[in-house]
Amino acid sequence: MKTVRLKRKDIKNPYLPVEAEKITTETFLNNDISEIRIWSGNQEKILEDLFTVDTEGEADTAEDVHIILSGDCSKVKRVGEYMTAGRITVEGDIGMHCGNFMSGGLIEIKGNADSWLGREMRGGEIICRGNAALYCGSGYRGEKKGMRGGLIHIEGDAGDFLGETLWGGKIIVDGNAGNMPGAEMQGGEIIIGKDAEIPGANMKDGVCIICGTAFDILPTFMLEDGKKNIDDFKTGFFEFSGDHANRKPKGRIYAKDYRIHQ
Amino acid sequence: MSELLVKNAFVIDPLNNINGEIMDIAVKDGKIVESVKDTSNTIDAKGNLTLPGGVDSHTHICGTKVNFGRYMSPEDMRAGRGRAQKYMYPVSGYSVPTVYANTYRYSSLGYTTVLEGAMAPLEARHTHEEFSYNTLQDTMANTLFDGNWAVMEAVAENDLKKVAAIVGWTLAAVKGFAVKITNPGGTEMWGWGKDVGCMHTKVDHFGVTAAEITDYLIRANELLNLPHSAHLHNNNLGKPGNYKCTLERMQRTPDLNDKRQTLYMTHVQFHSYGGSKWADFCSKADDVAWMINRKPQIAIDMGQVMFGKTTTMTADGPMEFNLYRLYNNKWSNHDVELETGSGIIPVLYSKKNLVNSIMWSIGLELALMTKNPWQCMLATDNPNGAPFVKYPEVIALLMSSKYRDEEFSTLQKDTEKRVILPSLDREMDWNEIAIMTRAAQAKALGIVDLGKGHLGVGADADIAIYPVKTGDIDPTQEYEKVIEGLSVTTHTIKRGRTVSKDGNCLVFGDNATIWVKPKISENYDISKDPEFIKRFERYYTVNMANYPVEEEYINRNICIETETEL
Repeated sequence: MKTVRLKRKDIKNPYLPVEAEKITTETFLNNDISEIRIWSGNQEKILEDLFTVDTEGEADTAEDVHIILSGDCSKVKRVGEYMTAGRITVEGDIGMHCGNFMSGGLIEIKGNADSWLGREMRGGEIICRGNAALYCGSGYRGEKKGMRGGLIHIEGDAGDFLGETLWGGKIIVDGNAGNMPGAEMQGGEIIIGKDAEIPGANMKDGVCIICGTAFDILPTFMLEDGKKNIDDFKTGFFEFSGDHANRKPKGRIYAKDYRIHQ
Repeated sequence: MSELLVKNAFVIDPLNNINGEIMDIAVKDGKIVESVKDTSNTIDAKGNLTLPGGVDSHTHICGTKVNFGRYMSPEDMRAGRGRAQKYMYPVSGYSVPTVYANTYRYSSLGYTTVLEGAMAPLEARHTHEEFSYNTLQDTMANTLFDGNWAVMEAVAENDLKKVAAIVGWTLAAVKGFAVKITNPGGTEMWGWGKDVGCMHTKVDHFGVTAAEITDYLIRANELLNLPHSAHLHNNNLGKPGNYKCTLERMQRTPDLNDKRQTLYMTHVQFHSYGGSKWADFCSKADDVAWMINRKPQIAIDMGQVMFGKTTTMTADGPMEFNLYRLYNNKWSNHDVELETGSGIIPVLYSKKNLVNSIMWSIGLELALMTKNPWQCMLATDNPNGAPFVKYPEVIALLMSSKYRDEEFSTLQKDTEKRVILPSLDREMDWNEIAIMTRAAQAKALGIVDLGKGHLGVGADADIAIYPVKTGDIDPTQEYEKVIEGLSVTTHTIKRGRTVSKDGNCLVFGDNATIWVKPKISENYDISKDPEFIKRFERYYTVNMANYPVEEEYINRNICIETETEL
C-alpha cells in the first residue's frame, strides 16, 4: 500500500485554475515524481511547485495507491481523470471535472465538488460528502453518452443538469437536485432524496426517482394508474412514463409528490 | 520578383500529357516559366511525385450551413485538436472543423483550389467572410438556384433569356462562381412539408417541374458562357430506386459545350441506388456508369462514403429530414427566404450496417466502371460522405484491388449479394489518380485557362510534392505506403510560395476568390425589371440595394467576365 499526501501550497492568486489530470493513481506508481508536469494558469509547473508531496510505502498496481489531497483544491481540475483503480480522498473541496472518464476505483470528497463531477465516467465510485455543482455525471457539450457506469453518491445537494444524457450507472443524491435532472437520459438510474425540478426532459429510457416533490413535470409525461412501491422504504410513488416527445419511450419517473407547471 | 526552381521533380501533368518525367519546374512571380536565372531559391524534389496543386470540385467548408454544423456538434471539436504554431492558429474539429483546420489540412494534402459546394445567395456574405480565412486555397462558390422564385416564374413563362438574366445578375451580385441546383423544386416544396419525388412532379404554386427547372438552368448557363457547367445535386438523393431518376436526368441532358461537360452531377454515389425500399436496397452503379460512358456531356463526382463519424449537410432539406428519421439524432433545418433551404445531421457510417456497406461499394464501383477518368472526379462530398482527410484512403482503394478485397471482407456479410465490387479488377495508375484529383476537376470547373490544374508554362505555380517515389512502390500491393505518402506533402507550393512543408504551414497565406461576372446588356438587366424589384421589396427581408456582396468582402479576387448572348 502506498499513500501519497498532497497538500496544496498557499499561492497568491487562489483563482488560478490548475489542470491536474496527472493527479491519478497510475501516476504515482513511479517513485520519481519530478517529471510530473501540471499547468497552472498559463504556465507549466512541476507537481512540487504546487503541492507538498509526502509518500509512504510501495505499490505495484494502481489498486494499492491512495492519494490524499488537502489544502484549498477548489480550483484543481480533472483530478482522477481516466482513473482505473485505487483510491483518492479529498479532504476539502475539489475543482471541476473530478473523475472524468474514470473506470474504476474510489474517489471520496469530504467537501463540495464543482461542476462536471464524474463526467462520462464508466465505472468505479465517487462519494461526495458535500454538495455537487452543475452537470454531475453528465456528458460534455453535445455528447450523446454521458455517464455509462459506476456510482456517484452525493450526500448534499446537486446542481442543475444532474445526470444529463445519462447512459448507465447510478446517481444517488440525498438532498435536492436543481433544474433538469436526467435530461436526455437513455438509461441508468437517478435517485433524488428530496425535491427536483423538470425531471427527465426528453428521456428515452432509464429511471428517475424523486423522494420529495417533482416540480414542473413536463406535459409530455403520462401519469400511470395507481401508486407504486419501489422497495420497502419507498412506497406510494406516482409513476410517470415518458418522455412522449420520443417514439416509444421507456423512461420512468417516480415521484412522491408532483406539481404540474401552471 | 520572387523566383523558385523545383529540381528533379517526377512530374505527372495530365493536361500537358506528361506522365512521369523527371524535370525541373521554374517559377517566377507566382507563374510557371521556361527558366529562371536566379537559382538561389531551389527545392530539391529528389525524384518524388510532383503534381499540380489539387482541385476539389465539390466540398462544403465555408458558409452558413457548415457553421451551423459547428454550432450543433460541439462534441466534434473534441477531436482533431492542434496547437498554435508560428504560422498556424490553434485548430479543432474533425468533420466540421474550424476554417483554419480545413485550410491547413487541405494544404498538407496538396490541395490549392477548392469549390464550396452550395452557397445560398442571400447568405453569400458569410461564405465570403469565411473564405477570407481559408487562406491557403483559392476559393469559389457554387450559388444555389434550385428554389429561386424568380427563376421558377421565368421557367413557367418559358422565358429562357429571363432565366439567364436572373442567374447572371445574381451570380455577379453575390460573387458566385457557378450555378448549383440542389434537389430542384424539392426545397421549395419542403417549405410546405413536401418533396417533389422524381423530376416530373409539379412544384406547388409555380407549376413547373424539377426537370424543367434543370433544363432551363443548363441552357441559361450556356447562354451566359459560364466557365463551369450547371452543377446538379439531383432529386431523390439517398432513396432506394433513385437510379432511374439519375439515368433519366442524364438522358435528358443535351451536349451543348465542346470544351467541357454540359452537366456536372455531384455525389452520384447517393443517386445510384436500386431496390424499392431499404430491405431490397442494392447497387445500380453499373447502369449509371454505363450511361456516363455513353454521355460525354456528363461529368460526375463519386461522393464516396468512408466509414466513421461525420456530419451531413446539404441544401436538400427534405432529404435531411428523412435521414433524421432514420438516425433519430440531432437535426437542423433552415429556410432561406425565396431561394433555398438546408438541413444538417450528424451521422455514423458503420461497417456493420448493410446500407452503409453498399454505399461504400457504390462509390468505388462508379469510379472503377467509368471508363474515362476525366468524367469522374474523386470527392467525398466533404463532409457528407467522409471528411476530405480520407482522400488518400480513397485513392489507395482505387489503386489496389487487394486493399478493396481486404476492406470488403470486413463489411456486413450480405453486402456481396447486393454489389458487384468484388468482380471489378481495375486498378488505377498514378496518371488516372492525377486526372481524378486535379486535372479533370480543373477542366470541369473551366479554370484551366486561369492556370489551375496543370504545370504548363503560364500556369499558376500551384505545386504539390509528395514523399512518394512511384518507381519504388507497387501501389497495388503496398497501399499503406500510398496512403502514408499522399497524406502529407513535403512541399505544397501556392503561387510560387511554399505554404506547407511536411504538414506545417509556413505562411499565413493569401488566397483569391474566383467569381464570374456575365456581361449582360441593358435590356436584360434584371435589377431594373419592375416586376423583379417589386418581388424583392415585397418578399425579401433585405433591401435590394443591400443584397449584393461588396468588393470589400473579397480582398484578392479574380473576376471572370464572360461574353453572353443577352
